[in-house]
Amino acid sequence: MTDDAGFTAARSTRARRNRAAPWVLMLPALVLVVIFFGLPTVYMARMSFNLSEGAKLFTPGFTLANYRNIFSNEVFTDAIWTTVKLSLMASLATLAIGYGFALLVWLKPAKWRLIFIGLALCPLLISEIAIIFGWWMFFPKNGLLSFSLLNAGLITDKISLMYTEFAAFVGLVYLTLPFCFFILLSILDGLDKRMLEAGADLGASPLTTFREVVLPLTRNGLLVAFSQCFIFTMGTYATPSALGPDTLWTLGFLVQEQMLGRNNWPLASALSMVLVVSVGAMMIFTRALSAKRATLHV
Amino acid sequence: MTVPALDLQAVRRVFGPVVAVDNVSLSVAKGEFVTLLGPSGSGKTSTLRLVGGFDPLDGGAIRINGARIDHLPAYQRDTATIFQSGALFPHKTVAENVAFGLRMRKVGASEIADRVKQYLDIVRLSGFADRYPAQLSGGQKQRVALARSLAVRPAILLFDEPLSALDLSLRLQLRAEIKSLHDQLGFSAIYVTHDQGEAMALSSRVAVMRNGAIEQIGAPESIFHAPANEFVYTFIGESCCLPVRFGDVATDSAGAPVDLHLEVSQPPGEARLYIRPSRLRFGAQAAGLPNRLKAQVDFVEFLGEANRYHLRAGAVEVFADHPGPALHAAGEVVDVGWQSADMRVFR
Repeated sequence: MTDDAGFTAARSTRARRNRAAPWVLMLPALVLVVIFFGLPTVYMARMSFNLSEGAKLFTPGFTLANYRNIFSNEVFTDAIWTTVKLSLMASLATLAIGYGFALLVWLKPAKWRLIFIGLALCPLLISEIAIIFGWWMFFPKNGLLSFSLLNAGLITDKISLMYTEFAAFVGLVYLTLPFCFFILLSILDGLDKRMLEAGADLGASPLTTFREVVLPLTRNGLLVAFSQCFIFTMGTYATPSALGPDTLWTLGFLVQEQMLGRNNWPLASALSMVLVVSVGAMMIFTRALSAKRATLHV
Repeated sequence: MTVPALDLQAVRRVFGPVVAVDNVSLSVAKGEFVTLLGPSGSGKTSTLRLVGGFDPLDGGAIRINGARIDHLPAYQRDTATIFQSGALFPHKTVAENVAFGLRMRKVGASEIADRVKQYLDIVRLSGFADRYPAQLSGGQKQRVALARSLAVRPAILLFDEPLSALDLSLRLQLRAEIKSLHDQLGFSAIYVTHDQGEAMALSSRVAVMRNGAIEQIGAPESIFHAPANEFVYTFIGESCCLPVRFGDVATDSAGAPVDLHLEVSQPPGEARLYIRPSRLRFGAQAAGLPNRLKAQVDFVEFLGEANRYHLRAGAVEVFADHPGPALHAAGEVVDVGWQSADMRVFR
């Protein structure tokens, strides 16, 4: 009897430990996330309710004035709209190009694969600033683009696309394309290519097979890649500021201006919170769009 | 003369320097079940993929019901393949999978429903229509794949090693089901496998392939009993090989004499004697047989139905199956004998 009791106790201890195991294993990562991402965000949220008076960076207190300011002042509402619009367009374009590219690499024989992956990795090896300098040689009147188009006979006069919204758009697409590509390629690599043959075999043209088989199976991957691009482009500051026109006021630009130019930390924090919330909203939205059947796929 | 369901004429497929399919000609009559049997790399799957339209043809002609189809893309050919992996669509239910080919062929909705039900009944998966492939076992998945291909009623069914991913008992069970389905429905089929048991059990005719060419084609019985050459003989059924040099006396490869008596004396030189292990007899049973070899028992394997005796005479190794209790222990010297009809000599 005593032995049985002993074993029962040992068993329940073991069961308790097994329940605790996931948390224990997660702990190191959890601590890092909380310290490096959680706390600063909480601090920023608190900062957004502080007052800003005179030349001081902020005055401790509690006010909703910063948020009221953001949503009543046209400068800020326009910036929110501009940022969302630019990010949406850039993300959709990235998604289209990245999907095409990933499909190409997936369908091509393995010998091409390494070359394509190497190409896709290149932009990740160069810093954003260096890439911006690259665009500065590409877009202006005497830049590579103008020169090429002129020599190809497509235009008769030199053109400059520097400091246009289009340049900012191209810059953002270029920046997010590798991430999008790798996410989509990993999803495609999880699919059995024989399914394409099965589709053809059963009488579906390549386009129909794509619509009926590949697209539904990569739908969730597309949503993930889209969220990733959207988050990235919403927050990026350097590329749109450096390539876009002076009038292109994105949220990132305004945060920077309020923080460093106007020494208004509470307002900068409130703008950042708007960014955080809109990114969060987009993630919830894409999550809701994910196929319910996803759990049944292998 | 009736038109064959499928006709291959000097079909050729080249991958760089490798000739995967080398002028293969083959004709499958309506309702016939033809197996392409061969080791890996023998070109059997390559041949099948040419018929399915998954790889381009480098020469020759393919006809289905008399009409050239080798210029058509896969989706315009009246073929249906059962893939080794099944290649079911994981985001579609069993019923949607089976309906896919019918939808693509613009069959009416009510007929699609009827046929899906009919073919799920045939493969005994009626209760599984609303499941997803991930919820099925390996054998069930292959049955769905079978139903999906059968449902479109193609001119010819193409089986690409459909059972090789399954475990043994399931493989035997599904093999019997395919056989009985063929008897019921009478479809025409090409079946690719490296498993001779499948080939023998299922086929109207077997084509044994090697290096991209057909070595022999015929009914399973004729392939088994009258193999055209050494490769076919060794590939079909178990056999033991006795490498012997004939001279004044028979010797093994090392030159040591072997106590071997043959009914028909052989011309001098190197030769390989092949005998089926089940046809070898021992001791007293061997005494009256015209061909005999004296050999020592190396070790004995228990196979369940029989014991397998591994014997050695010099460098010549033989194995023989004998049902019933173990007769001889390791180390004993025994006589083994066989009928001349059970032996083949290749040089």
